[in-house]
Amino acid sequence: MKNIVKKAVVAIAAVGMLALPGLQAAMADTIKIGAILAVTGPSFLGVPEANTLKMLTDELNARGGLNGNKVELIIKDSGGVPEKAISFAKQLIEEEKVFAIIGPSTSGATMKIKNIAEQSETLLLSCAAAEVIVNPVAKWVFKTPQMDSDAVRKIYMEMNKMNISKIAVVVGNTGFGQAGKGQLLEIAPEYGIDVVISEVYDKAATDLSAVVAKLMANKDIQAVVNWSIVPAQSIIIKNIRQAGWDVPIFQSHGFGNIKFVQAAGDAAEGVIFPAGRLLVADVLPEDNPQKEVLVKYKNDYESKFKEDASTFGGHAYDAFKILCRAIEQVGVDKHKVREAIENMKGFVGTGGVFNFTPENHNGLGLDAFEMMTVKDGKFTLYQK
Amino acid sequence: MEFIKRYLPIAGLLGIVIGVQLLTSATDTAYYLTQLTMAAYYSLLIIGLCVLMGYAGQISLGHAGFFAIGGYLSAALTSNDFSAYRETAVMRFMDTAGLLLHRQSLYGEPLLNIQPWPACIIAVVVAIIIAFLLGIPVLKLKGHYLAMATLGFGIIIFRVALAAEFFGEADGISEVPPFQLFPGVSVTGDFSDRVQNYYIAWGLLLLGLVLLLNLIHSRVGRALRSIHGSEEASEAIGVNTARYKLYTFVISAAFAAIAGSFLTHYNGGIGPSEAGVMKSVRYVAIVAVGGMANLWGVLIMGILLNFMSLRGMFGTYDDAVFGVILILIMLFAPQGILSLRIRNIFRTKRNDT
Repeated sequence: MKNIVKKAVVAIAAVGMLALPGLQAAMADTIKIGAILAVTGPSFLGVPEANTLKMLTDELNARGGLNGNKVELIIKDSGGVPEKAISFAKQLIEEEKVFAIIGPSTSGATMKIKNIAEQSETLLLSCAAAEVIVNPVAKWVFKTPQMDSDAVRKIYMEMNKMNISKIAVVVGNTGFGQAGKGQLLEIAPEYGIDVVISEVYDKAATDLSAVVAKLMANKDIQAVVNWSIVPAQSIIIKNIRQAGWDVPIFQSHGFGNIKFVQAAGDAAEGVIFPAGRLLVADVLPEDNPQKEVLVKYKNDYESKFKEDASTFGGHAYDAFKILCRAIEQVGVDKHKVREAIENMKGFVGTGGVFNFTPENHNGLGLDAFEMMTVKDGKFTLYQK
Repeated sequence: MEFIKRYLPIAGLLGIVIGVQLLTSATDTAYYLTQLTMAAYYSLLIIGLCVLMGYAGQISLGHAGFFAIGGYLSAALTSNDFSAYRETAVMRFMDTAGLLLHRQSLYGEPLLNIQPWPACIIAVVVAIIIAFLLGIPVLKLKGHYLAMATLGFGIIIFRVALAAEFFGEADGISEVPPFQLFPGVSVTGDFSDRVQNYYIAWGLLLLGLVLLLNLIHSRVGRALRSIHGSEEASEAIGVNTARYKLYTFVISAAFAAIAGSFLTHYNGGIGPSEAGVMKSVRYVAIVAVGGMANLWGVLIMGILLNFMSLRGMFGTYDDAVFGVILILIMLFAPQGILSLRIRNIFRTKRNDT
C-alpha cells in the first residue's frame, strides 16, 4: 500500500516537472508589474492604491491586455516598513523579474529603495509625496503625486489675496508633515509671509488642545496651516473650534480624504486646502480637461468598492496609466519605456495634466492644484 | 568528546550554509540569499536574547531598542553630513586619525561622514553603556515589572528615533554607504555582492553562536541556569546573581547592536519601525517558539520565521502572526514548538513498531 502511494507521488512530481517548462512558455508574454504598498500600518494609503491597481489590471486584461500581453499585478504589503520594502523590492526585481514597480506609498520607504531601482535599472513609479524622491532627479525614479512646494505656493497665494501675513504652522510627525514644514518655512519669505510659530504633533495623538492653547496665546496669528496626512489632523481642527477660536484654517493636500472631514465633524466647515481635482470631480466645469478621466475613475472605483475614491488611489491610477501608455507607445523595453515616460507630454491623469521632462520626473505644476473647502460635510471648490 | 559534541553541530551548520549557497547558485535562485542574509542578522539578535531569556531567565521587551541604537547610530554617523563641524577639535582629530570619510553624494555634493568602522564601534559601545546603565536598576525587577520596564525603554528609543532630526524622523535614514570590513569585502546590498554578504552575515551569526555556546557551557552558564531555577537558592550557594544577570543583559544588547549596525549597512537604510514595540514582541515570540533555553531551536526558528516574514508570506497579517504565535506557544508548548513536535513524532513511531 505504502509503495503505491510513494510511486504515485513520484509520478505526479515527474509530470509536474515536465509540465513546468510548458507553463513558463505560456506565461512568457505576460508583463509583470510589482507594487509595494502600505496596505496595513499606521496610514491607510495603501488600501485605495491596491484597490485601484487591481481594478485597472482586471479592466486591462478584460480588454485583451497591453499590446496583446497579459498584465500580471503582484502586490506586496510593506506595512509602511522600510526594511520590508527593501526585501520586497529585491524580490520583485530579481525573482519576479517585474517590468516596473509602482509605489511605495510612503516617502520613507521610497527613499530606501530608490538606489535599488537605480542599480537594477527598474522603473519605479512612486505614489509618495516627498519632493526628495525626484529632486535631485534619479534616472529610473518617477512619482505621480503633486509637489509639496506647489501646494505651499497655492496656500500662500490664497493668503496674499486674503491679506494674511502672520501664520502658525502645525504639522504631524510623519515624513509628509516634516517635509511640508520644511517647504512652508522655506517658501514663506517669497510671499511676504511670516511664520510666527511652528509646532509638531504626534501622529497618534487623541487630544491636541494643549498645542491649540499655545497657538491661541499668540495674538498675532492670522491663520493656521495644519500640514498632515494622519487622522490626528482632524483633532487639531476640532480642538481649535472647541476652544472658540475663529481663525482661518488651511490644510495640506493630505486632507483630501473625506474620512478626515467626518472625523472633524462641524469643525471642518470652511477649512481651505489645495488638492487635486478628483475630490470635486462632480462639480468641475465640463470644459476641464480632467473632467472625463476623473468622473470615470471616481464612478468605477465607488461602484466597485463601495467607498469614496481618494486622491491616494488616484496616484496609483496615474502611475499605472502612465506606465501603460508608455508601453503601448514603444513596446516592452524598459529603456525605451523610461525614455517615453520622460518625454511624455499632456497626459491627463487624476492628479493633473502631466508633462514630464528629463529634469522633471513628476510632470505636474502649480495648476495641478485647486483650492477647495468643506461645505455641508462635502468637498467643494473654494470661491471667495 | 565534549569538544566534539559541542562543535560538531556548528560544523554541520557551516556545511548547510555553504550547501545552501552552492545550491542556490546552481539552480539560479540566488535571490533567496537576500532574505537569508537579513534573517541571519535578525537571528544574531535573537540568539543573544535567547541566552538572556532562556538561560538567565530575564525577559526583555526592549531589544528592538538596542538593535535600533546600533543601526541608527551607524546610519547617522556614516550618512549625515558633518561638514558644518569640520573645524571643531573633535572632527579635526578624527580627520587626522583617518576616521573620516570624504565622499560625494549621488548627485555630486561633497559629504563629510565618519568611517563605518569607527561608527559601528561607537554604536556598539553606546549600546553597551546604555544596557549597563539601564540594567543596573532594571534587572532588580522581576516578572511583569521587568517586562514593563524594558518595554518602556523600547518605546523611548522608538520615540527618539521618530522625533530626532538627526535620525531622520519618520522617514528614517536612507543612502547609508557600504561598510568596508577589509579591502574588497564590504557589507552592502549591491546585487553583485550578495554571495559575499551572505557569508558575512552567516559568519557573524556562527561566531556569535560559538561564543554563546561556550558561555552557556562554562561556569557562567551553570550560574545562569541556577539563577533561572531560583534566584534565592543561587544567591545562597554564592552566585553573584546581580552581576551575572547584568553581564548577560549587556552581552545580548551588544549582539543586538552589532546586528543592527550590519543590517543597516546591508539594507542601505533604517526606519523607525526597527525600533518599534512589535519588533521586540516578535523577537520574544521567536525565542519562545524556539524553546527558550534552546539555542539551536531558537536559531532555527529565528531564521525560519524571519525568512518567511521578509518574503511576505504572512501578507497583511505579519505582526498578528507573531502575536498569535506567542500566545499559542505560551498556552500549549511552553518548551518551544520543536520539543512538542519531536516528542510527538517519537511517540507515533514507537506506537507503530
